[in-house]
Amino acid sequence: MNEVHPSGPADRQGSVLVVGGGVAGVQAALDLTALGFKVYLLEKTAAIGGVMARLDKTFPTNDCSLCILAPKLVEAGRDPNIEILTKSELLELKGEAGNFTARLRRKSRFVDEETCTGCGLCTIYCLKQIGDDFNENLSLVHAIHIDYAQAVPASYHIDPQACLQLNHDTCGLCAVVCRAGAIRFGGQEEIIDIRVGSVVLAPGFGRVDSEVLRQYGWGRFRDVISAFEHERLMCASGPTGGEILRPSDGRHPKKIAFLQCIGSRDERCGNNYCSSVCCMYAIKQATLAREHDPEAEITLFFLDIRTHGKGFDAARERATRANNFRIIYARPPRVEDVFDGRLLLTWVDETGRHQFEKFDLVVLSQGLEAPDDAKALRQACGIELNRYDFAATGTYTPLQTSRPGVYVIGAFQGPKDIPDSVTQAGGAAGLCSALQAAARNTETVQAEYPAERDISEEEVRIGVFVCHCGINIGGVVDVPAVTAYAGTLPGVTYATDNLYSCSQDTQKLLVDIIREQRLNRIVVAACTPRTHEPLFQATLRDAGLNRSLFEMANIRDQCSWVHMQEPEKATLKARDLVRMAVAKAACLVPLAEQQLPVIPAALVVGGGLAGLTAALAIAGQGYECTLVEQGRELGGRGLLLSADRHGADPRRKIEALVNKVRKNQLITVHTGTSVAAISGYVGSFTTTLARSGQSVVVNHGVVVIATGGRPYTPKKYLYGESGRVLTQMDLEKRLAAKRPLAAKIRQVVMIQCVGSRGEDLSYCSRVCCGQALKNALRLKKLRPDLAVTVYYRDMRAYGFMEDDYREARQLGVIFSRYQPDRPPLVSPGRARSSPLKVKAFDELLGEDIELDADMLVLSVGIEPEETGRLARMLKVPLTAEKFFLEAHVKLRPVDLAVDGVYVCGLAHGPKTMDESIAQAQAAAGRACQPLARGSITPEPVVSQIDAAACIGCGACEMFCPYKAIEMYKEGKMRKARTITASCKGCGICAARCPSMAVDMGRFSLHSIQAQIRAFGSPMDHSTEPQGEENVLCNV
Amino acid sequence: MSSATYEPRILGFLCNWCCYTAADSAGVGRYQYPPNLRVIRLMCTGRLDPSFPLEGLADGADGIFVGGCHPGECHYQTGNYHALVSAALVHETLQRLGIDRQRFLIDWASAAEGPNFVRIITAFTRQVAELGPLGPAEGTGAADPRQALAHAAEAAGGRKIRIGLINASREMMKSGDFSREGIAALVRAKCDKALTGLTAGGL
Repeated sequence: MNEVHPSGPADRQGSVLVVGGGVAGVQAALDLTALGFKVYLLEKTAAIGGVMARLDKTFPTNDCSLCILAPKLVEAGRDPNIEILTKSELLELKGEAGNFTARLRRKSRFVDEETCTGCGLCTIYCLKQIGDDFNENLSLVHAIHIDYAQAVPASYHIDPQACLQLNHDTCGLCAVVCRAGAIRFGGQEEIIDIRVGSVVLAPGFGRVDSEVLRQYGWGRFRDVISAFEHERLMCASGPTGGEILRPSDGRHPKKIAFLQCIGSRDERCGNNYCSSVCCMYAIKQATLAREHDPEAEITLFFLDIRTHGKGFDAARERATRANNFRIIYARPPRVEDVFDGRLLLTWVDETGRHQFEKFDLVVLSQGLEAPDDAKALRQACGIELNRYDFAATGTYTPLQTSRPGVYVIGAFQGPKDIPDSVTQAGGAAGLCSALQAAARNTETVQAEYPAERDISEEEVRIGVFVCHCGINIGGVVDVPAVTAYAGTLPGVTYATDNLYSCSQDTQKLLVDIIREQRLNRIVVAACTPRTHEPLFQATLRDAGLNRSLFEMANIRDQCSWVHMQEPEKATLKARDLVRMAVAKAACLVPLAEQQLPVIPAALVVGGGLAGLTAALAIAGQGYECTLVEQGRELGGRGLLLSADRHGADPRRKIEALVNKVRKNQLITVHTGTSVAAISGYVGSFTTTLARSGQSVVVNHGVVVIATGGRPYTPKKYLYGESGRVLTQMDLEKRLAAKRPLAAKIRQVVMIQCVGSRGEDLSYCSRVCCGQALKNALRLKKLRPDLAVTVYYRDMRAYGFMEDDYREARQLGVIFSRYQPDRPPLVSPGRARSSPLKVKAFDELLGEDIELDADMLVLSVGIEPEETGRLARMLKVPLTAEKFFLEAHVKLRPVDLAVDGVYVCGLAHGPKTMDESIAQAQAAAGRACQPLARGSITPEPVVSQIDAAACIGCGACEMFCPYKAIEMYKEGKMRKARTITASCKGCGICAARCPSMAVDMGRFSLHSIQAQIRAFGSPMDHSTEPQGEENVLCNV
Repeated sequence: MSSATYEPRILGFLCNWCCYTAADSAGVGRYQYPPNLRVIRLMCTGRLDPSFPLEGLADGADGIFVGGCHPGECHYQTGNYHALVSAALVHETLQRLGIDRQRFLIDWASAAEGPNFVRIITAFTRQVAELGPLGPAEGTGAADPRQALAHAAEAAGGRKIRIGLINASREMMKSGDFSREGIAALVRAKCDKALTGLTAGGL
């Protein structure tokens, strides 16, 4: 836990410097402004977005990467409290936590960001071409260009190394053609000093040295490509328009090989660590390659398959099965070019035989390195790096660098995937918020929207925007045809298509079109309103329209993605969905917004490592917190661990946390207590706590769930029958004892994945491999002559844990892979006192090997503590494995589907202690957002009762699940009315009202009926007169 | 399917929190299903007015699907139980009009159940396709069933039937019996008179 100062000195700054504009940095910036801090977002390139913007899809869901990222980029670009400084770097950091002065260098874009309209005329006239870095140099761009279509800021920039004007004083055509007059050839770099309270480092990762790639033929043979190049080839907005073409001959490869661990797990290049993400991204890329070519033969070469993330194993298995991938456990040492233009791979298989085969295309799954500017950042910030040049952090302070007030998130903290990076961003924001709590809201401004246009007297003018979503929609649905059709629908006065409707420049365009065309209802046919409605609604507000005048047609998630083989029928469906959305839009009316107060307090359920950390982080930010623990004592199951991988004792650390929690005046602890009932909504929850017959009622604004997990209890391998059989947890306890090992013990055998990965637990528990390595090392250090054998399926020693794996092998621990259908067999020894017999098949020898095990240690998985009851009370979904299901696996990893409810620790999924701590800090950071804001503005979908039509029957009052309807007297008549603050918008009242007196905001009777009628009339409207009164909504 | 084969038209009402999310996640997972469904998003199936499915059938649908959260898991606690009451009325009406009750389905898929959603929709599409277009397939040969359905939809918006439904809903909540059979019996009992008037003419 980091030291936090809830009531620090008043001179603390109210702003934060975030270094790096990738997904981690952008998320940190957004989380920080939501907590009331101004952010300087520093980005060394010309646009934010980082690597995620370059990805085609993201695993494990194969969501379109930019589609989910773009709304965040737009939001950051639009936030008045985020100042994006592009082409900038941090030079020096003076001062101390809470009060730093940062010196920045800002290079010129040579194009004025404010003036540039992004029209792109300049790039058409530019005479100089250069390699397109964004497309991995697989295509060309001009010296003046924009990095990608959805770039934020949506402004062009000049490459000063290439520009003819800047270098040779010639050309200058861009300045001539730029109608906005945005070109600034005289641009100079600036040195800027800014004062900030803390610094968040999110510079991302660096690329593996090209020398390493060259060893595998990259740069020598054209058809050996890096995974990043492959990613761009797959992408619709990439150099080939989304076709995977062999660079040498432009043909579709029919035989593709993916080579793993390029520049990872490789001492030769100095990177012994595992890059953690490549196994899964290779599976993703292979899956997409299969989508591109159903006939191609796809082979993946793994050392171990490390798909340890939440839901990853299931995604991998499904992908492998559905796509008929060939999986080979081997590491081909090199790639050779052979005469017929194909690439030869040779390898040694698990039985020791030599194999060779030719491939059309070889993709190198390159690892993640420390960022190129790691050393410069060390210099500038005065932080320490680890041996691989990643930022050094501790197990119990995973986001804290060696310099107080400077935090690190994302891949610079260690190789990791997007959800973990986003989680850390939320955590760092929470830590900054605690450090600078006294200065909250001192440097921020309120977002301002133009006054809402009164449309009550206007005729219906609907604008329809149909999105290509790259090729996500456009590759299946005939978007121009749907757009043309939309233009013929009644009430539609404007229809157009966009490549990406969610990009920042499209938002600007939308605002302009709404104004120019005097549109008063907007329909966007694109992805799902569940993720993108808020973005477009904000754009409506920017254009002076009430946000309720918006409707989406879901033609991607529920159309192009699910009817990929039937483009014509998908197009017909898209037409129908657009027609129905337009019909509904015609019925939409502006709805008034209301603000509801937030109770500035939190409830944390669960008093283990995650819960304790979350409670402290919330209190640290200055908010009251109630911590509920079912057990008698705080501390949770972390207390079962007797050492971490660095040798420290977690029990001491957890005890220290417990003491801090007990002493903190803002935290009220209830042990031996369970949650009996929860009601309410974000900002205003009421929870009844039960403790031995007594109950306490707590009011709070947010909930953090940290109910934890427990070790799975094995049912085989003689566990419970023989005293020689232990779980890793039992071993932890024994290793902490005075005499951990009897002298008689000569051989210890460990078996991995007991109960996990398809046995009783379908998932990988992520931490068991690391724990086995840690304990094997402890045993070896205790007794170097002890024989230790580990039977495993895939040794998932991800990240820096790979160092433990290497060390264990060096110390003589034997690792032997077993097949899931051929697990080791354990039988009792001849006598009670004789060792157990462990028999396992050895692939290399091709025969069974039998070991005498004096001690057998089972690496068991983690199962969640009871989650069902809490999930039902809070109305939040669980995964099939009974862990809490986050709102979005990539970008909202600690939020649950219900606003104001957050999750962290093992209740979310198996994870290590440092991951739990970072996630708890993230949950606390996110949970404090509504508390810091002080009020919430619920979506206006609430019920409204027409008093004139109401007959006072009271049915609505009776059936309302939220007691949000009350009866009152109007003269002698009984009438019903809605208590807006309590209404959640389900609409039961409307469905039951006998006199149709209840209406539901954006789900009114008329609008739904209009949708039904529009469904029923798929005629060609182009032949009908337009704007007929009777076809529009009669409200 | 070739273009010559019959393609049923199916209208769906999905709740935002479970079934609509399941449908989205089916897309994210690229699970494929027949392209016959058109979806209207509701916040909760509890919003389902009994007139909506009838109107959908009257306006050209060959099948109607209502998808919500699993019983006991409604995001709004009890919305899907009330949807079962509305659904029972729809089934009862269809039966009295001589229209195959298999044209209307109410079923559940949680937010995490994309594949389950796909399974339900695939099976329902096949089922409706086997029934054939509404009207000819009903074999009544009498008046246009869609007209009768329009009439029924209007009646479902009327006070008589709705008070019957209120009574059925109240008894359901009181008894705590949320079985489909139990709810169907309640609705039959409470709305019988109103329905007799509605369907007296039959087809």
